[in-house]
Amino acid sequence: MARVVVDPITRIEGHLRIEAVIENGKITDAFSSGTMVRGFEKILKGRDPRDAWAFTERACGVCTTVHALASVRTVEDALKVSVPKNAELIRNLMFCTQMVQDHVVHFYHLHALDWVDIVSALSAKPEETSKIAQTISSWPRSSPAYFSDLQKRLKGFVDTGQLGIFANGYWGHAAYKLPPEVNLLAVAHYLEALEWQKEIVKIHAIFGGKNPHPNYLVGGVPCSINIDEVNAINTERLNQVGQLIRDAITFVEQVYIPDLMAIAGFYKDWAAIGGGLQNYLCYGDLPTRGYNEPDSFKFQRGAILNRNLNEVFEVNGRDNEEIKEYIAHSWYSYAGGDQKGLHPWAGETEFNFTGPKPPFEQLNVEGKYSWVKTPRWKDHPMEVGPLARMLVAFAKGNTEVKDVVTEALQKLNVPITALFSTLGRTAARGLETRLVVHWMKGFYDELLDNIKAGDVRTFTREKWDPSTWPDVCEGVGLSEAPRGALAHWIRIKDKKIDNYQLVVPSTWNASPRDANGQRSAYEESLIGTPVANPEQPVEILRTIHSFDPCLACAVH
Amino acid sequence: MASAQPIPYQRVYVWEFPVRLYHWVNAVCVVALGVTGYLIGNPLAISYSSEAYQQYWFGWVRFIHFVTAFVFFFNFLVRIYWGFVGNDFARWTNFIPFKRAQYREMVEVLKVDVLQTKIRGLISLGHNALAGLIYFLSFLVFLFQAITGFALYSSMSDSFFPRLFAWIVPLMGGDNPVRQWHHVFMWFFVVFVIVHVYLVFYHDYVEGRGTTSSMVGGYKFEREDEYKS
Amino acid sequence: MADSGPPIWQVMQSKGYSRREFMHFCSFAAAAAGIHASGLLSVVHAFEKKPRPPVIWLHFQECTCCSESFIRSSHPIVADVLLDTLSLDYTETLQAAAGHQAEKCLQDTIKNYPGQYILLVEGSVPTKDGGVYCMIGGRTAEDILQEAAKSAASVIAWGSCASNGCIQSASPNPTSATPIHKLLSRTVINVPGCPPIADVMTGVVTHLLVFGRAPELDSQGRPREFYSRRVHDTCYRRPYYDAGLFVESWDDESARKGYCLYKMGCRGPVTYNACGVTKWNNGVSYPIQSGHGCIGCSENGFWDNGPFYQHLASFPGFGIESTADTIGTALGLTALGGVALHAITTNIRKRKVIQELKDDSLSPEKTAEGGDN
Ligand code: HEM
Ligand code: HEM
Ligand code: NFV
Ligand code: SF4
Ligand code: SF4
Ligand code: F3S
Ligand SMILES: [Mg+2]
Repeated sequence: MARVVVDPITRIEGHLRIEAVIENGKITDAFSSGTMVRGFEKILKGRDPRDAWAFTERACGVCTTVHALASVRTVEDALKVSVPKNAELIRNLMFCTQMVQDHVVHFYHLHALDWVDIVSALSAKPEETSKIAQTISSWPRSSPAYFSDLQKRLKGFVDTGQLGIFANGYWGHAAYKLPPEVNLLAVAHYLEALEWQKEIVKIHAIFGGKNPHPNYLVGGVPCSINIDEVNAINTERLNQVGQLIRDAITFVEQVYIPDLMAIAGFYKDWAAIGGGLQNYLCYGDLPTRGYNEPDSFKFQRGAILNRNLNEVFEVNGRDNEEIKEYIAHSWYSYAGGDQKGLHPWAGETEFNFTGPKPPFEQLNVEGKYSWVKTPRWKDHPMEVGPLARMLVAFAKGNTEVKDVVTEALQKLNVPITALFSTLGRTAARGLETRLVVHWMKGFYDELLDNIKAGDVRTFTREKWDPSTWPDVCEGVGLSEAPRGALAHWIRIKDKKIDNYQLVVPSTWNASPRDANGQRSAYEESLIGTPVANPEQPVEILRTIHSFDPCLACAVH
Repeated sequence: MASAQPIPYQRVYVWEFPVRLYHWVNAVCVVALGVTGYLIGNPLAISYSSEAYQQYWFGWVRFIHFVTAFVFFFNFLVRIYWGFVGNDFARWTNFIPFKRAQYREMVEVLKVDVLQTKIRGLISLGHNALAGLIYFLSFLVFLFQAITGFALYSSMSDSFFPRLFAWIVPLMGGDNPVRQWHHVFMWFFVVFVIVHVYLVFYHDYVEGRGTTSSMVGGYKFEREDEYKS
Repeated sequence: MADSGPPIWQVMQSKGYSRREFMHFCSFAAAAAGIHASGLLSVVHAFEKKPRPPVIWLHFQECTCCSESFIRSSHPIVADVLLDTLSLDYTETLQAAAGHQAEKCLQDTIKNYPGQYILLVEGSVPTKDGGVYCMIGGRTAEDILQEAAKSAASVIAWGSCASNGCIQSASPNPTSATPIHKLLSRTVINVPGCPPIADVMTGVVTHLLVFGRAPELDSQGRPREFYSRRVHDTCYRRPYYDAGLFVESWDDESARKGYCLYKMGCRGPVTYNACGVTKWNNGVSYPIQSGHGCIGCSENGFWDNGPFYQHLASFPGFGIESTADTIGTALGLTALGGVALHAITTNIRKRKVIQELKDDSLSPEKTAEGGDN
C-alpha cells in the first residue's frame, strides 16, 4: 500500500522518518524509523567507567546532561557509593535547569509552529494582541507598541522574500485555528524564549563549566564550594544561580504557562486525538535522600497499565524479566536469535542493516526498518515522558501534581481523560515545568542551608581509585530525562566497561514494533489521526512533536 | 708459551676532543631532560606556600627542560657534523653496519655480553659494531625527542626555530599524541643509560683497553701487534 | 554574493529600524568579530551592501549540540542572526517545513544561489557499508553533502563531529564516521569543540560576512582567531601551574582554592580553544573555572586520548591503569635487574677471565683466531 512519507521530520532532534498509511482521511497504520546510528554501546566497551558520563552525554546535545547523570549514577550504583548532599542538590539543580530549558525550547521552537501560523500574525491588530497578553499574564513586554514593532519587523522580514527557517511551512492550512492576534503573541514569545533559554543554562556553566555538555563526576560533582574564595562556588556564583532561578520562575509562570493555556483553548479537539498506548512508565527522579530511596523522589516511580489510574505497579530495573529490548524490526542481530528480548545487562549491539539500498522511496516495513531498538516492560509497550510522569504521580496521590493538573483541567474545562492525547502530552510538559521550576528554588534554598551549616563537601573519594573496585560488578542508573524514563546499565569487569547499554526515552517511544507485532508509542498514537491533506501532513507533525522526539538519543 | 713476555700496548687517540665534549654535554643534558621531563609529566606535590606568587618551582622545572633542550639539540648537531669530518672512530661508517664484518662482530659482541663467552678475536677499537648500531638508533631517538619536543614547544613560542617544527603536530594527530610519544621515549633514555653505563664498565673489564677512561682522556690502549696504522 | 536579495540595511530600514539601531547592530557584530572601533565603518558598509546570505545547515551523525550551542549565542543574539543577518534556509532542527517541503528548501537554495550560499555542516559522515548509518529522506549523508558542497560559497564544519569525527569516530569507529574535510576537495573551515562555544560559532560566520572572506586558518583548517592558543596558555589557573600548586584529589583543600587541575588529567596543555578567554554562556565560566579539567573536546581524537582523569593516556592493550610510566618503570627495573645479574655472573667468572686476559697479553703466539679454553 502506498504510504505517506515524512522524512526528515524536522523540529526534532535527530533523523526520524515516518511512513503512514492513510485511508479515508485517517491514518490506519504507521511506521517510525530512526535512520542514523553511531554505535555508542560498542565504543564504550573497554573504557574507564569513570569516563562514561562524558561519552554518553554526547548521545544528545538537546537533553545534554541527562545521560551524564544517568551514567554517573550507573557507575556509582555498580561501585556502591552515595554522593554527598551538596552533590545531590547540585545535580538536581542541573537536572531542573535542563528540563525547564528543554521544555520551553520544545514548546516554542520545536512544537509551536504546528499550532501557530506565523503568516497570519501579519494581519493581527497589535492593540488586540496587547489586550490578550495583558489579560492572560502580567508579563511586562505587552504594550501595543511592542507588538506593533514586532509586527513591522516580521513584515519587513517576509517582504525580503527570504523566509529562512519559516520557508515552505504549512501556512494557511485549515488546521491552524488561532486568531491572528494570538499568533502574533506566540511569535513574540518565540523570539523572547529564544533569548531567555540561553540565560537559564548559565546554571550549568556555573556548576559544570559549560552548556551544552557540562561536566559531571563519579562520586559527586566537579565543582568545589568555598565561600571564602573567588576560585570556587562562592556567594557571587550562588547569587547568580538564585537570580536565574527567579527569572525562570517568572518566565514559566508569566509566559510559558499562559501561552500554553491560551493556545490549548483553541485546540481542544486534539484532546481526543493521538492518545496511542494505554501504558505509562516512569522511573522517577530528583532524589531528596539519595538514589537508593525512590520514595523520596520528587518524580515518583511506577508503571500504569490500560490507563488504570487506580493501580501503580512497581518497577525494578534489576529484574531480568521486566525490561527487555527487542530487535525483531531493528537493524541489529542478537547472537541468540532476533526474536528474543534481552535485559540490558545482557544486551548486545551488533549492526545488521537489511533495509533498501539508498537512495530509496520506501522502507521494507515487513522486515527490519529502524536503528532504534524496541524496549518493553514485562513485554508491554510503554509510553514514557512528561505525561507518564504526571500520570504516575497523579495516580500515586502526589498532591503537588494533582493540584497543577486539576487546575489546568478546570481552566480548559476538559475531563482527566483529555490527558490521554496529543494535547495532553503537550500540556503535561508545561505543567511539570511549572512544578520543576519551583522545586528548583527549594533545592537552591536547601543548598544554601547546607553550606550555612558548614557542609561544603561535593565529592566522595571512597571508590574513586579503581584498586578499590570489585573484579566484576553491575549497576543501573534509572532517571527521568525531559522525554521520559532513561536508564543506563553497566557491567564493570577488571576495572573496565565490559558492557554498557542505554535504553532511552525516545527508544521507548520511537521504536518499531516488537517481536509480537505490538506498536510502540509514536506508531500507535498516529493510528486514527485525521489527515486533511496528505501533501501537508501537519497533523502527523503535531502528534509526533507532542513526544518531543530525540533520535540521536533513541539510537545512540 | 715459554717466553711469557708482555705484549707491548699502544696508546691510541680514539675520541677527539669534540666527541668527548659532545658526549659529556649530552650525558648531562639527557639526565637533566629526563628528570625535568619526568617531573613535568608527574609533578611532585610541593606546596609549602599557599600563594602562587611565592614560588615558581614548576616554572623552573620547565625552564630547565627547555634550556637544556636547546643545548641538547645543538650539541647533537655538532656531533652529526663531526660524523663527517672527525677521525675514523667518529665517522658514520662506524654506526651503520654496511659490511659483513660488522655483522660478524655484532654476533661476537652479543656472545661476549650475553653468554659471557671469552672474547675471540678483535673487537673494533672505536665503537664495536653492536654499540655503534645502538648509538645510531639512539641518535634517531634523540632526533625524535627533539622534533616532538620542539613541536610541543612551538605553540608556546613565537620564535622562529621551534615554529619550524609546528607541522609535526597535525601529522601526529594533535598535541596530545605528540606529548604522549615524547613522554614514552623518556623511558628509552632511562633504560639506555643503565645498560650503556654498565656495558662501558663491563667492556673495560673484558677488553682491558681502558674503555671507561677513554671518554675522558680520549685514549684507548691496544696491543701493538693488532693495531697497525 | 552579487544580488541574492536586499542588503541588511535595507531590510532593517523596512522593518522600521533607525539608522542608530543599525549602527548599534553593526557595532555588535563588529565586537563579536573582534573588530576595533576604527574598523566599524567597514562593517557598516558591509552590512549596508550585502543581502542576507542564504545558509544551509546540514545535520548528519551528531548530537545536535552544535545547534544548541549556536542558539546560546549572546553577541549577536541568535534571533537577530536568524531574522537579520542570515537566511537560514535549511536546518532540520528549527525549520518549519518537514518532509519533502523541507527537502525543497534545500534544493531551492542549491539551485537558486549557486556559489552564493554558506554551507554549515554539523555531524560526521559514515562511509561504511554504503552510508546506511546515516540517511535522510532515503539518501545517504555523503550523497547530500557532496551535492550541497559542490556550489557552496564556503563550507564550515561545526564542532568536533564534522571537523574531526568526534565520539562516533572513537575506537573502534563502528560506522567509519568521517570528518567532512576528508570527503571534500575544497577548503573547509573547521570549528572544533564538543560543542564549539556559541559566540565562536557566530563569530566565525560574522567574520565571513563582515570581512567578505574566510578567517585566517591554521594548518588544521581552524580559524586562528579562536584556535591559536592552548587553553593552558590562557587559563587563569596558570600561575598555580607554574608555582607547582596542584589539585591532588577532587574536592580537596587545593580544589577548594582553585589550584591547577593538571594532575586531575586536565588536557588544557594540549588543547587549542578559546575557552579561557571567550568562555562559555556569555562569559560565565568554562570547564576549568568550574572545577573540572579540560577533556580536550576540540582536539582531534580526544576520546581516544584517555582516560580523562590521568594526565597520561593509558597504553593501549595494557589496561586502563597502565600508562607509559608503569610500563617504563617496569622496563627500567628489568634493566637494572638484568645488569645486576650480569654483574654477579661476571664476578663469578672473574678469576678465570682475569687469568685469560693476562695470558693473552703475555702470549706472543696468540693470533686473532685463537682463544679456546
Ligand atoms: C632526552 C630528551 C628528552 C626527554 C627524555 C624528555 C622528556 C620529557 C618528558 C617526560 C616530558 C613530559 C611529558 C608529559 O608527560 O607531559 C617532556 C615534556 C616536554 N618536553 Fe621534553 N624531553 C626531552 C627532550 C626535549 C627536547 C629536545 C625538547 C625541545 C624543546 C623538549 C620539549 C618538551 C616540551 C615542550 C615539553 C612539554 C612541557 C610542557 O608542556 O610544559 N623535550 N619532556
Ligand atoms: C647519561 C648518560 C650517558 C649518555 C646519554 C651517554 C651517551 C653516549 C653516546 C651517545 C655515545 C656514543 C658517542 C659517540 O660516538 O658520539 C657514548 C659513548 C661512550 N660513552 Fe656514554 N653516555 C652516558 C654516560 C656515560 C658514562 C657515565 C660513561 C663512563 C663512565 C660513558 C662512557 C662512554 C664511552 C666510553 C663511550 C664510547 C663507547 C664505545 O667505545 O663504544 N658514558 N655514550
Ligand atoms: N530521548 C531522549 Fe533525550 C531526552 N530527554 C534522553 O535521555 O533527548 Ni536528546
Ligand atoms: S561535536 Fe560534540 S557537540 Fe557537536 S554535534 Fe558532535 S557530539 Fe554534539
Ligand atoms: S588547570 Fe589545566 S589549563 Fe589551567 S593551568 Fe592547570 S593544566 Fe593548564
Ligand atoms: S574540554 Fe572543551 S570546552 Fe574548552 S576547556 Fe577543554 S576545550
Ligand atoms: Mg541501547
